[in-house]
Amino acid sequence: MGKMSKDLGNLGEDRACRYLIQKGFSVLERNYHSQQGEIDIIAQDGDFLVFVEVKNYSFRSLTTPLSSLRKNKRQSLIHAAQTYLYKNSIANVNCRFDVLAFYRRLDGSCAADHIKDAFYVG
Amino acid sequence: MLVKLGSSALQGLEGLLVEVEVDSHKGLPGQSIVGLPDAAVRESRDRVRSAIVNSNLEFPPGYFTINLAPGHVRKEGPMYDLPIAIGILSSSEQVSLKLTPDTIFLGELSLNGEIRPISGVLPICFSAGQAGIRRVIVSAENADEAALVPNLEVFPVNNLRETVDFLNGQKNISPHIIDLQALFQSEPEYELDFAEVKGQQHVKRALQIAAAGSHNVLMVGPPGSGKTMLAKRISTILPPLSLEEALEITKLYSVTGLLQGKSSLITRRPFRSPHHTTSDIGIIGGGRMPRPGEVSLAHLGVLFLDEFPEFEREVLEVLRQPLEDGKVTVSRALASITYPAEFMLMAAMNPCPCGNYTDPIRTCTCSPLKVQRYWDKLSGPLLDRIDLHIEVPRLKKEELASQSVNETSKEIRERVIKARRIQEARFAGTSTHSNARMTPPPDQGILPPGGRGGRHLKSGHSAS
Repeated sequence: MGKMSKDLGNLGEDRACRYLIQKGFSVLERNYHSQQGEIDIIAQDGDFLVFVEVKNYSFRSLTTPLSSLRKNKRQSLIHAAQTYLYKNSIANVNCRFDVLAFYRRLDGSCAADHIKDAFYVG
Repeated sequence: MLVKLGSSALQGLEGLLVEVEVDSHKGLPGQSIVGLPDAAVRESRDRVRSAIVNSNLEFPPGYFTINLAPGHVRKEGPMYDLPIAIGILSSSEQVSLKLTPDTIFLGELSLNGEIRPISGVLPICFSAGQAGIRRVIVSAENADEAALVPNLEVFPVNNLRETVDFLNGQKNISPHIIDLQALFQSEPEYELDFAEVKGQQHVKRALQIAAAGSHNVLMVGPPGSGKTMLAKRISTILPPLSLEEALEITKLYSVTGLLQGKSSLITRRPFRSPHHTTSDIGIIGGGRMPRPGEVSLAHLGVLFLDEFPEFEREVLEVLRQPLEDGKVTVSRALASITYPAEFMLMAAMNPCPCGNYTDPIRTCTCSPLKVQRYWDKLSGPLLDRIDLHIEVPRLKKEELASQSVNETSKEIRERVIKARRIQEARFAGTSTHSNARMTPPPDQGILPPGGRGGRHLKSGHSAS
């Protein structure tokens, strides 16, 4: 990954954190790594523990947030989530996987698309 | 929270009560189905999720383990969608099961929450009634079928929302009732009639005897002589079904899924005429989970095999056992299932490959060897099991043109019914229904051969 795109990604995640905090989430963790995956943001939304995948799209992009989440990507997110729950001894908490997508417009402004409960374990 | 509710699995012509257990706990979102589900059952989790969401109900968070007990029986088909959905809703207390104890749920869900009909409702409900179940909740399209079972309250539902409201006592659904007598009393009407067949008096007489005693028939004749025409009219002279017989046939059709869209009870004797390319499994029944074949679908009716020698030899030979026993047992790795197969076999064939062997006018172009090969496809034991062999000659021009009035099917049927009544009295207290099904030892006292008949039998035996 080039420095440029990494910066872009960080920028997007900053924006996502701001968005989530504004919506009443409290951000617990950023860029959580397990052996097989990475979770962009882990946040608390009321009773729910939410694992958030952040996506950034330019106005030229033809893909949609869910179509870019293929099975392998989902599996690695699930693996990372399981690792997080295990390492922090979290049980009996309802969890959720969200996808937060930002579409950059021509004038530089952004539109957010927050997909709650985007996918499930099985 | 753990929730249990009832459903049923289908094993041959019997239903087996299945307990659907839904356990939810907090954690990553998802669900798993255990208890030997097949592909259709495993797919139900996607249907259930969409159906719940699209019914404006909440799909509760957490992980769901769904168990279909007993665990050693394979569960197939989509009928567990409804109980699983209700179980999931009940575990999040969106629906209460308190008002409806001793209930089974059967139904497939469509993605918008509608409840679709399933096959096999009649046998499932019969077994459930015997097992002490008092209520059944089924798709409205299955309600007629389920209501045939006595002492069972049938609640027809159209969609998931309605079911939830009903279970919570917010909507009243009255039990579905059908008038069995009215269904049964309507005189069967046929589009065909024996009066349409000109000439062939001796064939008609033979078919009438066959219908009276449920004897197997083989018709041999040149093309165009009317074999198929005659065969298609055989159901118009068969005696009416009793209620028990009608239910037996309806069960078989319910299992096969051939009942949907038709009336709930089959009141006519079946007439099956499979094409001669049908495989032996198609005739006998089979599949991974054995399903009834043509012999069972023709149970208590007629199995008509046109172009008899054109069937594969294996197909013809597998007919021997059901012809003898009146039932057929299909064994596969997953299950061994016995289906009833008391049918009347009607076969039609040409006397030779060109068809003109017995024709007085047209000449046959087949060599004697060819004719013999044609007949060799039919084995002796098979022909032995066909009681009546009838020659159907080509009609002469004058016969075809004649305006004489023929006997109608109704008149013939009355005679057939009379003959069946005599047989009923003759076989009262035995498991035999008709002359064709007489078994040697217990029935021997019924028709003792005496006088000329006895002498004829003796001379026949000494000659062989």
